[in-house]
Amino acid sequence: MNDRRSHRSPRSSEKSESGTAWLRGVLMGAVAACGLAAAASAGDGDLPDGGTFAIKTDKALLCELRGTQTVDHAVLLVEDGRIAAIGPESEVELPEGCEVLDVGASWLMPGMIDLHSHVGGLRGYNDMVFQLNPGLRVSATVRPGNANLARPLAAGITTILYIPGSGTNIGGQGILMKTYEGAFDDINVRNPGSLKVAQGDNPKRWAYGMQRTLMNHHIRHSMRQGKAYAQRWEAHERGDAPTPERHINLDVYRDLLAEEIGISTHTQYYQVVLSTLRILRMEFGFPTFIDHGSFDSWRLGEVAAEIGVPAILGPREVMWPTNPLRFPQDGRAEGSAWGFQKTGVELVGFNTDAGVLPQEELPLQSAMGVRYGFDNSNMAAVRGITIVPAIVCGQGDDLGSLEVGKLADLVVITGDPSDPRSSVELVWVGGKLVYEQPEGVRLW
Amino acid sequence: MVGLRSIALVTGVLLGAAPASAQDLAIRCAKVLTMNAADDIHAPGMVLVEDGKITYVGSPIELPDGVEVVDYEGGWAVPGFVDLHTHIHTGGWGDINDMVRSVNPDLRACGTVRANNRAIQIACSAGVTTLFGIPGSGTNIGGFGVLYKSKANPQYEKVVIADVGGMKVAQDSNPQRRAGNFAFGNNRASMGWILEDVADRALGALREDRFDPSLENLKKVMSRELPVLIHTAGSEGVLNTAQMWHLKYGTRCVISHGSFDGWKSAPQLAEWGVPVNHGPRTMDFYSSANGRINGTSAEFAAAGVPDFSLNTDSGVIPQEEFFLQGSMSARLGGDSYLMLRAMTIHPAKTFGLADRVGSFEVGKDADVVVHTGDPIDPRSHVLRVWIEGRSEYEYRQGQQRF
Repeated sequence: MNDRRSHRSPRSSEKSESGTAWLRGVLMGAVAACGLAAAASAGDGDLPDGGTFAIKTDKALLCELRGTQTVDHAVLLVEDGRIAAIGPESEVELPEGCEVLDVGASWLMPGMIDLHSHVGGLRGYNDMVFQLNPGLRVSATVRPGNANLARPLAAGITTILYIPGSGTNIGGQGILMKTYEGAFDDINVRNPGSLKVAQGDNPKRWAYGMQRTLMNHHIRHSMRQGKAYAQRWEAHERGDAPTPERHINLDVYRDLLAEEIGISTHTQYYQVVLSTLRILRMEFGFPTFIDHGSFDSWRLGEVAAEIGVPAILGPREVMWPTNPLRFPQDGRAEGSAWGFQKTGVELVGFNTDAGVLPQEELPLQSAMGVRYGFDNSNMAAVRGITIVPAIVCGQGDDLGSLEVGKLADLVVITGDPSDPRSSVELVWVGGKLVYEQPEGVRLW
Repeated sequence: MVGLRSIALVTGVLLGAAPASAQDLAIRCAKVLTMNAADDIHAPGMVLVEDGKITYVGSPIELPDGVEVVDYEGGWAVPGFVDLHTHIHTGGWGDINDMVRSVNPDLRACGTVRANNRAIQIACSAGVTTLFGIPGSGTNIGGFGVLYKSKANPQYEKVVIADVGGMKVAQDSNPQRRAGNFAFGNNRASMGWILEDVADRALGALREDRFDPSLENLKKVMSRELPVLIHTAGSEGVLNTAQMWHLKYGTRCVISHGSFDGWKSAPQLAEWGVPVNHGPRTMDFYSSANGRINGTSAEFAAAGVPDFSLNTDSGVIPQEEFFLQGSMSARLGGDSYLMLRAMTIHPAKTFGLADRVGSFEVGKDADVVVHTGDPIDPRSHVLRVWIEGRSEYEYRQGQQRF
């Protein structure tokens, strides 16, 4: 498109007056300049929504795990819900008649992802009749677009791993889902999304006298049953064994053995995280990530890095030196992210455990990680809520960064997402517009 | 510091230098936010300190040899934060909420202070240097709060500004839950009656110049010698409170909290000139029933209430996250710089402390905090804290306290 330079946007100084009204004007200008009937595919003629369109921005945060992090004066092209091109304005060729939205000084980034959330439904996610529940599915409680997801969507959080609570050692299966309101099939990214295991303190409350040795025994017991079951099915599928008897309580282990999903592990102190690494990863070989990773658990960072266990940290991501007998740390506050990063774990991300912390405050978790010493010189704080969780939940090919071929989960934000003063203006999921900041009305 | 100062003095004598040689300390930063009435910002800037007081604020100046110069290139120097609604003075030992009686104008928080407790140390490392430690809101009059600084000094006498810094009243919600004189069924009307009853008795004692051991401090509130901080919530409670304590009794009342839809009373408060100390809830999703998230700090500030200030109600919000109250207020429409004033000079003025803390001005306490950047950005952290010219916290790589 030759005339794409002919409709530069107003700068941020002009937009603060009237919310996103400027976007409308710009877009209408763009459409008029193209001389096309593109407005017909953009709903009210306001903003691009589905189909082919491009977004121009002064700054794009790519969030690739390694390599380039930002592109100034960038253009991103969306085709059929995926990113078809991204790069400097001078290098991206747009198709003829392409609708172009210029967001000016606002930043473009991938949708944010939280791997520890309990707000995908309204209660009922913590069945505690049995201590081991690998067959339970939290998907039964999902309410797409429920009231607790409105602010997260307005915060640019597009994907959550909605998981069972930590009331039992194995709470059941989580679901990876979108936060916008849609049919279940639309918002379901993957079900099961993970198996939730809780090795920390909460399941101790399940019965009087329950301690960690018995809990570890429980977990190993279920995993041995489950892995043997999954191996019988594998042998059957190879043609080496008859059809095994079906146990729906163990089916999830087939997904785990095939490494299609991982274990989200509620685990927090050194000794608990050691059990996580030794039992779930070393003994059974299942994909596993440390969820929480609080207190002194970062001291196992080297081990975690060596055996490929990522750390998704929060909501408690700092340890105060309140109990020098249990946690000798020379009087300093220790940030979990600081610890895991400095001991060599590459995949360090953040969570909210929503509603323990509000789902919409995920970016604030990453900002506080920086305050507590996490090195953000190469935008690791933003990666910790985008590409890192995407890779950890097995969606690294589809989500988490602005790379060609990935789903167009896009967020337009007024500035650095780690700065609480930045606010989200627009959100697309798979190229479909799912949130527009109402004019003069902040939802978050 | 005594040692250092004597060295400087000796050097000064030897050199026969100007009086400036008597300085204890010169702090030089990329930015010095004075928070004074003119909103002066010196970039770069310098603060000179002698005997714990500020003797110069402005652009960096030449200093004679022997003066200790601390240089933070890139650092932002900001006056220590002042939080008027805090409960960390007992350091987690409870004792903040005696609830045997509904009104306790004879109780004082100063007897429960554990100076230099862990929570105070962390508050210091987050740049909070002046605190009003007050009783909880379990009763209508919780008692009298203590004004103190977050020095790393275990001696109460060294940290206290005023044993009796002001009164705490709770006129909404929480005291309805307690037993007290009225037990179950205690509601706002009866709480108002209880408060007016005791206030009238104090006024009577004042008029008749009658000594009453249980009312002596309350008399000081009625005569405007001491301020009163009032726990209140929604708009109707805020107005009810302001009518009683401002219009009827003419006290130096400060509305604390003013949460939920409390901001809707802001224009009236502004008209009456009643200051607001807002927080810890600085946003409202639903009470205001207008389908949006309301940044309540921005609303109070826009209405023009005098000396709008913020609080944490620590430990409801951790004391060290005071700055974040400003950040979130800024997120939801407040002006970033105004929110810094709301944590420094505004609360100081509200409580009559502006001659000592809240801004960098000659003669005031040298409570100087150096941040790595804008204090309102969570990614910044504190590099150094001086209180009354004495270094109370210094950040070291990998050893940070907050």
